Amino acid sequence: MQHPHRRRRRAAVVAVAFALALTGACSVPAGDEPGSEESGGAQPSASSGTQPGTSLVVAESEPGDLNPGKQITAYDQVMALYTSLTDVATDGTVTMAAADSVTSDDATTWTIKLKDGWTFHNGEPVTSSSYVDAWNATAYGPNAWANSGQLAEIAGYDDLNPESGKPTTDTMSGLAVVDDLTFTVTLSAPDGQFPLQLSQAQTGLFPIPESAFDDLDAYNLQPVGQGPYMMTEPHQENEDITVVAYDDYAGTAPLTESIVFKNYADTSTAYNDVLAGNVDVAGVAPAKIATAMKEFGDHFYANPAPGIAFLGLPLWDERYDDVRVRQAISMAIDRDTINDVIYGGQLEPATAFTPPTEPGTPEGVCGEWCTYDPTKAKQLLEEAGGWSGEMVVTYPGGFGLDELYKAYANQLRQNLGIDEVTTKSTADFAEFAELRADAKLEGPYFSRWGALYPSQQNTLRAFFVPGGGGGCTNCSASQPDEVVDLLEQADGQVDQDAAIALYGQAQEILAEQLPIIPMFYEKYMFVTSDKVSDFPSSQGSPVWSQVAVSS
Amino acid sequence: MMRFVVRRLLELVVVFLGVTFLIYAMVFALQGDPIAALAGDRPLPDSVVRVLRARYHLDESLWQQYLRYLGGLLQGDLGTDFTGRPVSERMASRWPTTIVLALTAWLLEVLVGVSLGLWAALRHGRLADRAVLLGTIVVSSIPIFVLGATAQLYLGVRWRVFPVSGTQDGWPMGFLLPAACLAVFGLAAVSRLMRGSVIDAMSSDWVRTLRAKGLSPRRIVGVHVMRNSGIPVLTFLAVDLGYLLGGAIVVEGIFNMPGIGQLLFAAIRAHEGPTVVGVSTVLILIFLVISALVDITNSLLDPRIRRDR
Repeated sequence: MQHPHRRRRRAAVVAVAFALALTGACSVPAGDEPGSEESGGAQPSASSGTQPGTSLVVAESEPGDLNPGKQITAYDQVMALYTSLTDVATDGTVTMAAADSVTSDDATTWTIKLKDGWTFHNGEPVTSSSYVDAWNATAYGPNAWANSGQLAEIAGYDDLNPESGKPTTDTMSGLAVVDDLTFTVTLSAPDGQFPLQLSQAQTGLFPIPESAFDDLDAYNLQPVGQGPYMMTEPHQENEDITVVAYDDYAGTAPLTESIVFKNYADTSTAYNDVLAGNVDVAGVAPAKIATAMKEFGDHFYANPAPGIAFLGLPLWDERYDDVRVRQAISMAIDRDTINDVIYGGQLEPATAFTPPTEPGTPEGVCGEWCTYDPTKAKQLLEEAGGWSGEMVVTYPGGFGLDELYKAYANQLRQNLGIDEVTTKSTADFAEFAELRADAKLEGPYFSRWGALYPSQQNTLRAFFVPGGGGGCTNCSASQPDEVVDLLEQADGQVDQDAAIALYGQAQEILAEQLPIIPMFYEKYMFVTSDKVSDFPSSQGSPVWSQVAVSS
Repeated sequence: MMRFVVRRLLELVVVFLGVTFLIYAMVFALQGDPIAALAGDRPLPDSVVRVLRARYHLDESLWQQYLRYLGGLLQGDLGTDFTGRPVSERMASRWPTTIVLALTAWLLEVLVGVSLGLWAALRHGRLADRAVLLGTIVVSSIPIFVLGATAQLYLGVRWRVFPVSGTQDGWPMGFLLPAACLAVFGLAAVSRLMRGSVIDAMSSDWVRTLRAKGLSPRRIVGVHVMRNSGIPVLTFLAVDLGYLLGGAIVVEGIFNMPGIGQLLFAAIRAHEGPTVVGVSTVLILIFLVISALVDITNSLLDPRIRRDR
């Protein structure tokens, strides 16, 4: 009997990694760098004011938690409801959003001044306490809010998250209110990237109004923010979320009057609904790019994102010890052809260890080692003593990655002359993560990272600093000491140019040692209905408040 | 008779305990930590993981977890998911969609399946019969996700006959297409079962007797044949209702219907033990109760079944 509930459980899986990576941006452009306070519209489309009667229907997955401290799958909704302190544009420009200035002399103690006149959707003024209280609640261990880790660098975080037992305090020593619009943040170690950490997708750093603490369960269903849009009723599971323009919003007024976030379990259903004109915006799974480009033309968008895909190397296997073997693997893969064939040419072959939307990424640092050259690749492998045994290219199943990893395997087989290259997919991501954590993968493997805040620090830490990303789901199997040292030095710089120079030096070492192979810079892809006349994005994600619709 | 009923109900209890434990053990055995997987490839801080593991008793052994679960279950508590929402509440919001979808599909099976089967049987061996046989084989051998996606593309996106997805158009328009896709397999089975029983009955001695007595063919088929060949078909339809209520994971996914199937699918993917077991438990209960009822009814209708025991 082929009754549906016995049938393929995994049939509808399209792309969780992809969906999880859809961390968006709600940018409110202003000023030009931390410390300045000039404001002005930077989006090309920013015409004045909200167009009455306009609405936008956006396909999303069921959001789960909405409290910004807890949410992990509701970036788009939450970023429409709040405005971050700072904003980092796709080109890496850092601007002040809700903050008036974020300054420090020593990269350890930071003074944050808020812009005056901002209010929450319930009319409550936004004060420095709105931030301090929110951050303390998010960091408080027993609350177990998912975004707690975003505050881990603040002095006193450890007191709220002791190794065992209950914390003895519920406030971080590093946070101090100076006046209504000013507070100071002391970090446990110097970090010049702090202003970038305050940017649009780090929802754990958003403010929460005082009134919310009376009933946090209610707040989780109807978060009250200070952003361009507000919710008018609590979210009910399975129901769409409608947000409407907040009249007293202190930033750049949103263009569209209301946005409906509609739940879809299956991205191809959402895609079909955009085709039929029932939905205005939907994300596109990588496997569907070619079709989407053909069917949507101008209304297909590929936005450069702060994500990068690597090919991980099982450095616990001594056959990969020789750098020439690693170089050979990298040079045997024709990134351009794979990009054209599988992704319709929409991705970008990677030439550095961080995505270019992160300020100062030294594009091209990987040089010839990231350039396709099958002859040299084969020669390098021979010099290193050739290859013996199997090479099992492993990736998590159910995310539409099969084509990509089969292509890698084919090219390694053909270009390096290794007969025993095979692919293996795990049942799901959890199984893959466990195999990776236990160092049980038997060949080059899936590895990627989407940065929550676009700084080289974020991507490099996730891969090369032990415990830096909070775990080692994706990290490089080798974390050279000199790279760790350089990253620490870079973090200590208040001056962004000095930091960038040091991150660049770290990347040069990585290019020499090639512990992990850069493959593609990621993009977040969308299709829109004809109704959408302008679809600006920041760091890959749509800037919801500045999306323009006709009528 | 009473003994049979008691025995059947005892069996139900044993099967119920066995199956819920099996499912619990299987979810437990899935690789990977469900809490760590909550945030996808973005790791949660250790302190958060620790608190959540303790909160949802994931630090206990399989037996402890299962017994705790069973204890709750006996008090009507299906547990909570990993974000603290009660599983029963999550299911409650989804039942209406699934029930309407299942009943619509079931109705289609009854109406279309029975008529097709009867029609084919009465034209036994002729072109119409062959066509029905062939048609049902072809349609029911198309994988449901292909059928669903194709139907959606043509009837929904291209020709705009039905809505592409969602339940916002209400019954019947919002439910017809997914229900039809869901009904296809059962419908083929029903029509063939019906065809077979009617053909058997038509060639039986008692029908010959009825004919000899001069009853009109209409009366023979409409009253006597239908009543006798109805039993296997009704048995199948009853059991099938249990399957249909079991949530149509694929169809609900394709047509974006917020039903039980979608909940189960999402929960399996997230390794969310309490939700998977909670949903499965209710589905198993429905299925077990329906089949017990069917068996008991059948034994009432047909004394031979009782004697076999």
